[in-house]
Amino acid sequence: MAGKNKVKKTAQARNEFMWGWLFVLPTMIGLIVLNIYPIFETIRQSFFKTGDFGIGDKFVGLDNYVEMLSDGETWQALINTFKYAIVEVPFSIIIALVLAVLLNRKMRGRSAYRTIFFLPMVCAPAAIAMVWRWLYNSEFGLLNHVFHSNVKWISDPKIAVFAVAVIGVWSIIGYNMVLFLSGLQEVPHDYYEAASIDGASGIRQFFSITIPLISPTIFFVVVTRVIGGLQVFDLIYMVMERGNPALEKTQSLVYLFYEASFVEKNMGNGSTLVVFLLIVIMIITVFQMIAQKKWVYYN
Amino acid sequence: MKFKKVTAILLAGLMTFSLAACGGGGSDSGDGGEGGGSSSGDGSLSLMLWDANQQPGIEEICADFTEETGIDVEVQMVKWDEYWTLLSAGAQGDSMPDVFWMHSNEAERYMSNGMLLDLTDKIAESDAIDPANYPEDIVNLYSYEDKYYAVPKDVDTIALWYNKTMFDEAGLEYPTADWTWDDLYEAAKALTKDGVYGFACSATNNQAGYYNLIYDMGGYIINDDKTESGWDDPNTIKAMQYFEKMTQEGLMPSQQTLSESAEDVLLGAGTLAMTTMGSWMVAAMRDNDYIAQNCDCVELPKDAASGKRVSIYNGLGWAASAKTGNPDGAWQLIEYLGSKDAQLKQAELGVTMSAYKDTSDAWVNCADFNLQAYLNMMDDMVIRPYSKQTVTWENAVNDELKKAWMQEVSMEEACKAAAEVMNETLAEENE
Repeated sequence: MAGKNKVKKTAQARNEFMWGWLFVLPTMIGLIVLNIYPIFETIRQSFFKTGDFGIGDKFVGLDNYVEMLSDGETWQALINTFKYAIVEVPFSIIIALVLAVLLNRKMRGRSAYRTIFFLPMVCAPAAIAMVWRWLYNSEFGLLNHVFHSNVKWISDPKIAVFAVAVIGVWSIIGYNMVLFLSGLQEVPHDYYEAASIDGASGIRQFFSITIPLISPTIFFVVVTRVIGGLQVFDLIYMVMERGNPALEKTQSLVYLFYEASFVEKNMGNGSTLVVFLLIVIMIITVFQMIAQKKWVYYN
Repeated sequence: MKFKKVTAILLAGLMTFSLAACGGGGSDSGDGGEGGGSSSGDGSLSLMLWDANQQPGIEEICADFTEETGIDVEVQMVKWDEYWTLLSAGAQGDSMPDVFWMHSNEAERYMSNGMLLDLTDKIAESDAIDPANYPEDIVNLYSYEDKYYAVPKDVDTIALWYNKTMFDEAGLEYPTADWTWDDLYEAAKALTKDGVYGFACSATNNQAGYYNLIYDMGGYIINDDKTESGWDDPNTIKAMQYFEKMTQEGLMPSQQTLSESAEDVLLGAGTLAMTTMGSWMVAAMRDNDYIAQNCDCVELPKDAASGKRVSIYNGLGWAASAKTGNPDGAWQLIEYLGSKDAQLKQAELGVTMSAYKDTSDAWVNCADFNLQAYLNMMDDMVIRPYSKQTVTWENAVNDELKKAWMQEVSMEEACKAAAEVMNETLAEENE
């Protein structure tokens, strides 16, 4: 009797096992075909001098890496990428956090405000870029017109990368805000009540209750935004013309990758750049993982 | 708690990898993209082009074709920047459009890799197409190892545009066909005032801009064997110094300004008196009210010393995918588009000047400008310099020259540096 029962169980377990796999299979196939395989393909290509249209790849060992690392453009692009991320990440997080806290209470038109701040997220990047290009245009742009200035916002090598970062901040705030809002909803209200009774000010409450309690959310946003910031491409691509004198001091690593792979059709060089960026991002992320022990509280 | 941590790490890991996925993804993303879609079973053809100004005219010609043959043609416009990305992804993934535009910058790469349909036999059998009826240089652009891969679509030349109103106000005579580049300089000097620039040439505007003066002065960009750069040729440098002088004296807007608002935008905004533009811009000029009222065009100036007036020219070709599902249909369409009637219609509609001999005269009447100037520029033409990796060295050269346009280094130094980087690319190409 007992033995029969056991057999039955395994049959059921096997059945569940099979169905389980069947259900995750579409996702697995998608991941393998669209993500996993290309990753290895990219790493493979970085060791090859690629031929046109994927025909006639020639193994060159580390040549691509040597060439990339000895090219000043790569390092300049790395600096540009960091500059962009250093502006975009902190500002987009601080502003979004403040907004989220302000919008996390009962007030008139709360959903209207939330919608307004989230709108940039919904716009097509191409449309965003077009509008900002006009705002920034040094001859006919709104900014220079309003301030009666003559600043070359996006063609002065010194400031162009920051001008682009401002667009990045503007377009990502809404998304960060929504993430913070969801984190804030989980903070129990009693803490604030207790703190008020003890006489803690709003600012004190913010730093002593809000921040520690939503630190896991903040951590998640920081990690994803750092990665996103280091991968910046579309804004630069759409705002800067090829002849822009500031391009060299603005182009990110991904922009270089695009130029190498799709303009100069040199997949090998492009792949090398991507692998380089991958390593940079991994190192930074590892440090963030270590640092989180110091400031992230998982209740 | 542990679980959250693990998820966070996993998520972060996944995101770092998602970019790496982009690298190889290029080859996969071609399928199903809007540029893909090779011919379906119903025999209709897809046609891809990059110029929105020309799309309506081409669609009209294709409608005639459909009427004649019953084959539907679906025209898709993809912007220049994305066009080549899409086409090469399509070539790799076997999903190119059936018929598409080919450009001298890219043609050799496609031809040498067998991506284009070999049209040699079909041209030999055809009554409508005879290579002798098109400019030889353009036929050569699209021939590889004695085989034809495209039928010429158009030719383009360069002319000088000027703002008549500004010339009137300054009390200057309009530019004429007898002008030299020195006259242009003097006029630019007289016209530069009150926020108006006398002349403009952006750093990336080689074909319609500085290439012309370089060849006027006896310089060159690439030698006939396509093995050596001419950027360090003394005459090339001399020509570029002409532009350097204008930049230094403030007769041209800075490259910063030009990179934000190109020459045509400035001309249309009334802040630019003169610039050079290719014939492909005429449709856009016609549709701009300000330009239509205030501006006109004339032949390019000559070089005083050599007396030469060169126009760089180029021409697109109609090519088909080697792997099209409907090679006969594709050829029928190309044959039609290259035929005298369609070429004539293309000129009449003002789409562009046509490649077929003597069909461009009709184009002169497509807009109320002195378009005869563009036809007159055909008397002395030099094909736009090209090699297998044109884009690679053009971009590298532009990067070097940019330093001179920005006045960080002298034009002479920049030209010599440009020659060096270009020679490197050419050496690799000829390995």
